[in-house]
Amino acid sequence: MKHQVNSATTAPVLSKPTLPGHWLEYTGLLTRWFLGGTFVYMGLTKALHPEMFLKLLRQYDLTGNSLLLNSIAAGLPWFEVFCGLLLLAGIAVRGSSLLLLLMLVPFTFVVFKRALAIADLQHIALCAVRFDCGCGTGAVLICRKLLENGLLMLLSCLPLAGVGRPFAIRFSLTASSPIV
Amino acid sequence: MRNLLLEAVLVTASGLVVAFASNALSPRGLKLTRNYSPGTALAMSKAMESSGGTNVLRNANILSALRAEGLQLVDGNEAAKLFADPKRSQDLLIFVDARDDEHYQAGHIPGAYQLDHYHPENYLASVLPACQAAEKIVVYCKGGSCEDSEQTALMLRDSSGVPKDRLFVYAGGFDEWTADHRPVELGQRNSGQLRQVTLPAAAGP
Repeated sequence: MKHQVNSATTAPVLSKPTLPGHWLEYTGLLTRWFLGGTFVYMGLTKALHPEMFLKLLRQYDLTGNSLLLNSIAAGLPWFEVFCGLLLLAGIAVRGSSLLLLLMLVPFTFVVFKRALAIADLQHIALCAVRFDCGCGTGAVLICRKLLENGLLMLLSCLPLAGVGRPFAIRFSLTASSPIV
Repeated sequence: MRNLLLEAVLVTASGLVVAFASNALSPRGLKLTRNYSPGTALAMSKAMESSGGTNVLRNANILSALRAEGLQLVDGNEAAKLFADPKRSQDLLIFVDARDDEHYQAGHIPGAYQLDHYHPENYLASVLPACQAAEKIVVYCKGGSCEDSEQTALMLRDSSGVPKDRLFVYAGGFDEWTADHRPVELGQRNSGQLRQVTLPAAAGP
């Protein structure tokens, strides 16, 4: 919390956030909760049926190494839940947002790549492609999924920028000064 | 920036510990060292994709993939004939449902044993003696792009010593069975709750 020095009394007084500052912080809070809730939900959907997620992962032909594939299928959903919970609670918010962003980018890329392959095989438009991408939301129209992922990536930038501090338990783990 | 990266590393490290501990504690968790997709799973899915949705070509591709693994394929008519075979009542001919609990309970081929190859330890005690005594074992899953029937058959062959000439894969699976209006048993095996499906199952993912 910033302090201002009152020149008349020399006692420190708390500065009141400006109205736009309030608005931004509470928008950031809602974003943080939305992202956290979304990742907890999507992570749990996969974590409770890891064999289904493993089957879906196989369709991407990422690797033939079963240990690596099993590790992704077993670990990634719970990792998403973990990051989601951190965002909900307001712990290590910027680090968690960065990780969600780093997970979303390659995942969106492989979904896009597979959608292109399906569109090519079935001779249909990209936006007519519908499949279960393993995102935790079942079979979806892939253009819609790409838009959703784009939106989630954009939203992740807000807590990553250090916005959304109200009700945070420990916004930053490392810094005494919050944004460095 | 440095603090942000450090925080991300801390979250990653603790997240990985939590994630793999949760998987280990979860009753539905995966065993990391197990190969859940032996054999031709990938080849089959590729074969099905490359068929471009043509059933005849798709079946031909599946057949060649199964043959490469020494497995035999049965179609819907053959599955129905096997179902009507009197040997089925003596357990000399058995059906094995390779889907998970939820799907099995919602409906399966009457009298079919369940063997979810992702959690074989829950089923093998009852299924394995039946498989070892049977002359013919017909394994099925959902149908379509489902690979569980093939993988369950391979698991029975490779890990449980069931001779491959007894193993048959019903590639059309439960979707085809219900679409052909064949009888379906609900709940547990031999529950006696039968229903005749009158509508084809909705197309799934």
